[in-house]
Amino acid sequence: MSAAMEKRSTLRRASLLLLLLALLAPPASRSAPPAVVHFGVIAEEPNEPDRMFTVYSSFIAELRERLAPAGIGVGELVIARDLDDLSQRLVRGQVDFVLESVFPMLTLRERSRSLEPSLLVVRRGEREYRSVFFTRQESAIQKLEDLRGHTLVLQAMRSTSAFALPRAELARAGISLVAADEGAADRRSVRYVLALAEVNQAIWVLHGKGDAGAFNEGDWQALPEKVRTQLRVFARSRPIERGLIAFRSSLEPATRARLEEVMLALDRDEAGLQALTKAAGITRFERLTPVQRQAVLDWASVLMVSRGR
Amino acid sequence: MRTSGIGTRYAFYVAALALALVAVTLAASGAIALGRMRVLQKELRDAVTAARAADDERALDGAARYLGLHLFNPLYQLDVERLNEAIQQTQAWLPVVSFLVVDRDGLVLTDGTATNVMYGERAPGPLPGDGADPMLIRHDAVTELRFRVAAGGVSAGWGIVTLSEPPWEASLRRLEEERTAELWQGHRASLLSLGALVLFATLGVGLLVSLLLSRTLARPLTQMSRAAAQIAAGNLDHPLTLDSPDELGDLARALNRMAGELRAHEEALRAERSDLAAKNAELERFNYTVSHDLKTPLVTIRGFAGLAGGDLAAGRNDAVRKDLGRIVAAADKMHRLLDDLLELSRIGRVVHPPEDVALGGLVREGLELLKGRLEQRGIVVEVVPDLPIVRADRRRLLEVLQNLLENAAKFTGAQEHPKVEFGMRQDGDERVFFVRDNGQGIEPRFLERVFGLFEKLDPGGEGTGVGLALVRRIIEAHGGRVWAESAGLGRGATFCFTLASGGSGAAQAPEKQVQSVLAADSSGSSHPTA
Repeated sequence: MSAAMEKRSTLRRASLLLLLLALLAPPASRSAPPAVVHFGVIAEEPNEPDRMFTVYSSFIAELRERLAPAGIGVGELVIARDLDDLSQRLVRGQVDFVLESVFPMLTLRERSRSLEPSLLVVRRGEREYRSVFFTRQESAIQKLEDLRGHTLVLQAMRSTSAFALPRAELARAGISLVAADEGAADRRSVRYVLALAEVNQAIWVLHGKGDAGAFNEGDWQALPEKVRTQLRVFARSRPIERGLIAFRSSLEPATRARLEEVMLALDRDEAGLQALTKAAGITRFERLTPVQRQAVLDWASVLMVSRGR
Repeated sequence: MRTSGIGTRYAFYVAALALALVAVTLAASGAIALGRMRVLQKELRDAVTAARAADDERALDGAARYLGLHLFNPLYQLDVERLNEAIQQTQAWLPVVSFLVVDRDGLVLTDGTATNVMYGERAPGPLPGDGADPMLIRHDAVTELRFRVAAGGVSAGWGIVTLSEPPWEASLRRLEEERTAELWQGHRASLLSLGALVLFATLGVGLLVSLLLSRTLARPLTQMSRAAAQIAAGNLDHPLTLDSPDELGDLARALNRMAGELRAHEEALRAERSDLAAKNAELERFNYTVSHDLKTPLVTIRGFAGLAGGDLAAGRNDAVRKDLGRIVAAADKMHRLLDDLLELSRIGRVVHPPEDVALGGLVREGLELLKGRLEQRGIVVEVVPDLPIVRADRRRLLEVLQNLLENAAKFTGAQEHPKVEFGMRQDGDERVFFVRDNGQGIEPRFLERVFGLFEKLDPGGEGTGVGLALVRRIIEAHGGRVWAESAGLGRGATFCFTLASGGSGAAQAPEKQVQSVLAADSSGSSHPTA
C-alpha cells in the first residue's frame, strides 16, 4: 500500500471517528464547528487585492486540500483595507485566522479583543529580525540622537520593522516621532514621512526627501547594491519576532487544533513548502512556546505605548 | 537502328543542339524571371516594412505618451516600487529589453530590476526637451523610445525604453519569410516544371525533327551504302532510285552508271567466258576429230603401202596399182580435210568489215553456185520475196547460205519431188531466216549434233562434215543463232538462223527489188534454172 493510500485510509478512519464522536456529542456542541474557515490579510498600501490573491493562492489551496478530510473547508481569502477593517471582520466572525507581524497583530488583538497568537512565522529562515536606521554616507547623522529635527522616512504606519519598532526605539531614546505634516514640529522631535515601500525609503533618503530611514535588516540587504553603497546604517533596534499566526478566540478548538496541525506540517512536503515560500517568503510555522507568547505580548507595552506618546 | 550510324549521330547532334539552345533560352528566361521576382519581392518587402514602420511609429508614439503619463505619479513621488511594478507591467505588453526611468537631474532612478545597477548614472544619449515629442531611435535590432514623464506641463523626468522586435512582429516577419520562401519555392517549382516540360517537349520535338532530318540526310547515304554492298556482292540488278538534284543524286546516278557498266562488263565477260568455253569444247572436239579423222587416211596409206611393197616384191603389178590408187585416194581425202580445217580456222581469223547486204540477192547468188546440183536432182527451190537488207560480212554470209542450200539439196534423199525453201518468219522481236527441205529429215536427238565438226549422220555421204560447223561459226560471229528443226526421219528438215538485231548483221529495210533468183511459178515458188 502506498503512503498516500495509507494516509487516505488513516484520514478516512479519523473522519469516521470524528463522525462517531459528533453523533455521540451533546446537540449544543454538534453545531459549533464551522464548516468553513477564512484567512484574512490586509492590502493597505498599495491596495491591490490581486497581489494578495496571487501571493496566498497556493497557501489557501494547500490548506483547503489538507483540511478537507477533516470536514473543514477553507473559504476565499478575506482582504481587508486596513487594520480597522480586518479587526471588524474578526469581530463579526468573517475572519478566523490572520498572519501579521507583531505590531499589527497586537493592534488587531487590542481592537478586536478576540485574537490569540498561536504560531510563530519563520520568514526567510529568520524567527526574529531587527530594524536598522540608515542615512546617506555623507550625512552627519551618527546616532539616534542626531535625528532630532530631521525627517525619518518610514514605510507605513502598520509596519512593525519600518514604523512601530523604529518608533519604539526612538521612544526608548526619548525622542518623539511626529508626522511631517502635523504642524510645526519642534527641533527635538523627529518628523516622519511614509514612502510605502522599503526601496522608496532608501531612494527618498538619497534624493533628500528625508534624512534617514528605517526598516528591517532583510530589506537593507535587499536594497540594490548601488543604492545601498550610498547609504550607511547608524543604529539598530532590538530583535522582534518575525511574524505571527493568530486565531479568532471564538474559533472552535478542534478546528483551530486541526488548522494548527496542518499549518505546522506544511513545510514537511514539497507542495506545502512551495506554497509557504510563495506566501511572502515563509519558511515554516512553529508553535509559540509560552515564553515566546509572553514575549510577544510584552511587546504590546512597548509598541502600543510608544504609539500613544 | 545502329547507334553508331550516321542517322543516329545526326539525330544526336541536332537534339543536342536543340537542347542546348532551349537550355540557354530557359536559363536566360529563368534568370530574367528570377531577377524580376527578386525586385518585386524587395519592393513588396520595402513597402510592407515602410507601412509597418509607420504603424510601429504611431503605436510606439502612443505607448510613449501613455507611459509618460502613467509613470508621472510614481516618478514624481519617487515611488520606485511602483515604477518597478509599472516597468514589469510594461514588459507584459511591450518587448522591453531595458527600461530606464530618469529623474529631473538626468540620472537613472531605476531600471526596473532588483539590482538597479544603473541607479544614479547619467542617462545615456539625448533626452527630449520640454514639450518635445517622444523620440524614436532605431538601431539594428532594437528600437529606442525616449519620452518625457510629464503631466500638466510639469516634467518629472524621462523614460528610456529599449524595445526588441516584438514577438508579433517577429512572428509576422517569420510568417512573411516563410510565406515568401513558400511562394519562391512555388515559383521555382513552377519554373522548373515549366522548364522541364519545355525541355522534354523540345527533346521530343528535337528528336523527331532530328530523326526526320537525319533520315532525310542519311537515307540516301544508307541506300547508297546498301547499293555499294550489293555491287560488292556482285548483285548489280538493284539500281538506286534516288533522283535528287543534288550531290547525293549525282552520286546515286554515278553509282547506277558504274553498276550498269559493271553489269555490261560482266555480261561481256560472261559471254566471252561462255564463248571461250564453247571454243574450248569445240577445240577439244576438233583435236579429237582431227586426230581421229586424219589418222584414218594415214592408217589406210600405211596399210596399202605395206600391201604395195608385198605385191611389188611378188610382181603383182595390178595389185600394186590398186594399192597405190587407194593410197592416193586416202592422201586426197586427207588433203580435203586439211583444206576444210584451214577454212574453218580462217573464219575465226579473217574478218571482213560488215556491209549492207541484200539478202535476196545473196540467196540467188548462192543458188547460182549450186545450180548444177539442183538441176541435176530436179530440186524445186522457193525463195520468199521481200527479203530484207542485212548488215553482215557478205562473203561469210554467202558461205552460210551456200552450205545450208547445199546441205538441203544433198539430203533430199529418195524424195520424188524434192523441194528446198528459203523463208523468213517473225518470232516475237526476232526475225528468223530458214532453209527448209522435204528430204530425209533428222532424228530429234541428232538435231544439235549435226553442227559438230566432221559430224556426218551418213558416214557414207559426201563431204567432210565441216559445213554446218562452218555455218554455226559464221552465224555466231555475226551475233546470231543457228539451229535445226525436224519432225523426224523422212519428214524433212529446217535449218534456222538469226542475225544480230543491231550492229553487225542487223536486218534493215526489205529488199524490194529481189524476188527470186530462180524462175518463179505462179505460187511464188521457183525451180532452179537449167
